[in-house]
Amino acid sequence: MATTYKNLSRQDVSNVKTRLHEAIPITGSIVSGTYAETNIKTYAHGMFQSVYDYPYLSSSANHIFDITVGASTSWPSSSLVTEQKQKKSNIYNQMAQILAGYDETGSIRLIDRDGVFSTTGVTDVTKHTSLVYLNFARLLNKDEIQKESFSIEFAASSGYTQPAKNSIRIKLFDSGALSNYRINSPAGEYGILYLTNSAGSPVSGTTYQAGGASAVQAGLIFYQAGVVAINPYVFMANAETGSIGPLSASMQLNSAGNTISQLLTGSTIDQIATGIRNRIYNISFNNTTELNSTIYFCRVNSGEFNYSSNPTYLSGSKIVVKNNATDVPVSYFTTVGLYSSDNELLAVAKLSEPLRKDPSIEHTIRVRLDY
Amino acid sequence: MAFLDNSGDIILDAVLTDTGRMRLARGDGSFKIVKFALGDEEVNYGRFQLNHPSGSAYADLEILQTPILESFTNNSSTMQTKLITIPRNNVLFLPILKINQVFSNATAFNSETNTFLIATDTRTETEFEVNSSGVSLNGILFGENPGSNGNYIRLDQGLDTTQISPSRVLDPLLVETNYMVELDNRLGTIVSTGANSRVASLAYLDDDQIATYSLALGTDPLFVKDNPDTTTSTNQAIAGPRGTYLEFKVQGSLELNTGTYLFDTLGTTETLTGRNGSVSVRTIDSTIRVMGGSTGYRMDIPVKFIKKV
Repeated sequence: MATTYKNLSRQDVSNVKTRLHEAIPITGSIVSGTYAETNIKTYAHGMFQSVYDYPYLSSSANHIFDITVGASTSWPSSSLVTEQKQKKSNIYNQMAQILAGYDETGSIRLIDRDGVFSTTGVTDVTKHTSLVYLNFARLLNKDEIQKESFSIEFAASSGYTQPAKNSIRIKLFDSGALSNYRINSPAGEYGILYLTNSAGSPVSGTTYQAGGASAVQAGLIFYQAGVVAINPYVFMANAETGSIGPLSASMQLNSAGNTISQLLTGSTIDQIATGIRNRIYNISFNNTTELNSTIYFCRVNSGEFNYSSNPTYLSGSKIVVKNNATDVPVSYFTTVGLYSSDNELLAVAKLSEPLRKDPSIEHTIRVRLDY
Repeated sequence: MAFLDNSGDIILDAVLTDTGRMRLARGDGSFKIVKFALGDEEVNYGRFQLNHPSGSAYADLEILQTPILESFTNNSSTMQTKLITIPRNNVLFLPILKINQVFSNATAFNSETNTFLIATDTRTETEFEVNSSGVSLNGILFGENPGSNGNYIRLDQGLDTTQISPSRVLDPLLVETNYMVELDNRLGTIVSTGANSRVASLAYLDDDQIATYSLALGTDPLFVKDNPDTTTSTNQAIAGPRGTYLEFKVQGSLELNTGTYLFDTLGTTETLTGRNGSVSVRTIDSTIRVMGGSTGYRMDIPVKFIKKV
């Protein structure tokens, strides 16, 4: 009997998983400057700011990331906080619940600097008790941020005014994370951010820089969660922070000349976010999309699919590509249809040009469906 | 849909159809690909120059240059014509499907519209049963009471050529035994001929409300029958050897029977000739698609659902 379908055997179907990466560059002028804050969405609750790649009232705007600040009640300067103390604590706890989870007593675990939870003592040396969070939109980080691809540069001059601030910069990056990352977070894998001078010498010597003897653990990057947590002390001078800050001189984050430690205690989350945003020089990372694919090998053997039901194939029921019965039948195909058992067309694949089929030709068409 | 870039390597543009996505979303395991078919809907074999003056290598030059459109996601808009596997290379004639309008007056088109008219309520049935002279009108199918009228649709299958005598037996490889019939489920359903019409069993209903009926020889004897006529009879549509034939009627949907919403949305108003002369009717033009399950040949039957204003 003639037939128009061919069954796929178990050997004709294969499942594979592939990872696609895209480079995501975010320039600082988008984060602050180009759109004169019209791409920055603030909220009445004042708990975070949203950064868009275009004025957010436009339908073409895409959400890039949110920026917020959290300060635990365990933060040594917590008692000095006069602005949004509760909200800063709430943000810290919320993020800690998600990123660090709970300890054996059911208490929210503080976010650790190096991912070794067994380290005891709540000090700024072992824990991040205050953090600046950059929560990237899923549109950008997709399934996860690729390890060892993340970097964020900050203008690190002590003065606030442009353009001088861009000529001296520090870079935070997940140095060596491809072979050295942590897996004890409920939010998935994370790496440690280290810093280095990227322009000028805002960090004196190599001790505090990545690879140095006392390399500063400047923050954490949670790859699957798409969250970057930065310790605000990276914006502070070493001398002013009991050796926690890495810089030679603290950065002023607003026109009033306030440093981050002053802002954390005396300013709102919005004001802190604005100050830090204005210091971002650029952000760069590769995202990852996990593609689960099913590959169908449609094997067209020599004796198969050599005729067509196309109405133009016949003239008065006679095949137009043959002069007589002994001529070889010829057909051409442009489309592969994948069907269910009840002949419903579930997927379709088009070739970019017709392929000839006759009894002297065999084809294997590899149709890949990604999920 | 744009054309695919055919300037370099052959690329394959694969997508799930809307029905595929619907089944995937359903999560009941109904999304399971078990077979494939090859389509050639863009190919015009009339451009195959069998006796090209420059030699046989040039015969299919124009066909191979055919630009190909991107994939359609609508499941019923693609794979219109398929390649066929026949386990012999020496086949010169292939069977087709043909509407048999000459079998009797009961199977003829309506001469005024060149379609089959489906009267969707009793008023319309009465109006268009006969003309003003009382003569029965051809091509009128009763959509509310299918059994009350003898008209029906008949498709014959076989080799439509005078080069082979109809007395020859059609190669069993080329006999169609399974027909797929597609009809917009909002408009009607397929029913059997005869006074006691029976609704054909539905194979599946897709996301666009297109119902597909699978009717097979032996399993559905009210619909698919062997064609025993091997003569040159004038009531046969197929000139050469014959295989099977399919016959059915159409029952209008309850929505068309009781309301005018679909007529207002999908149709128009026309004037047709009935018992009382020119009569204004609401109409919806549609097609019933019949496809050979094994030979793949496809035929679109024009139908017009009508309702007297």
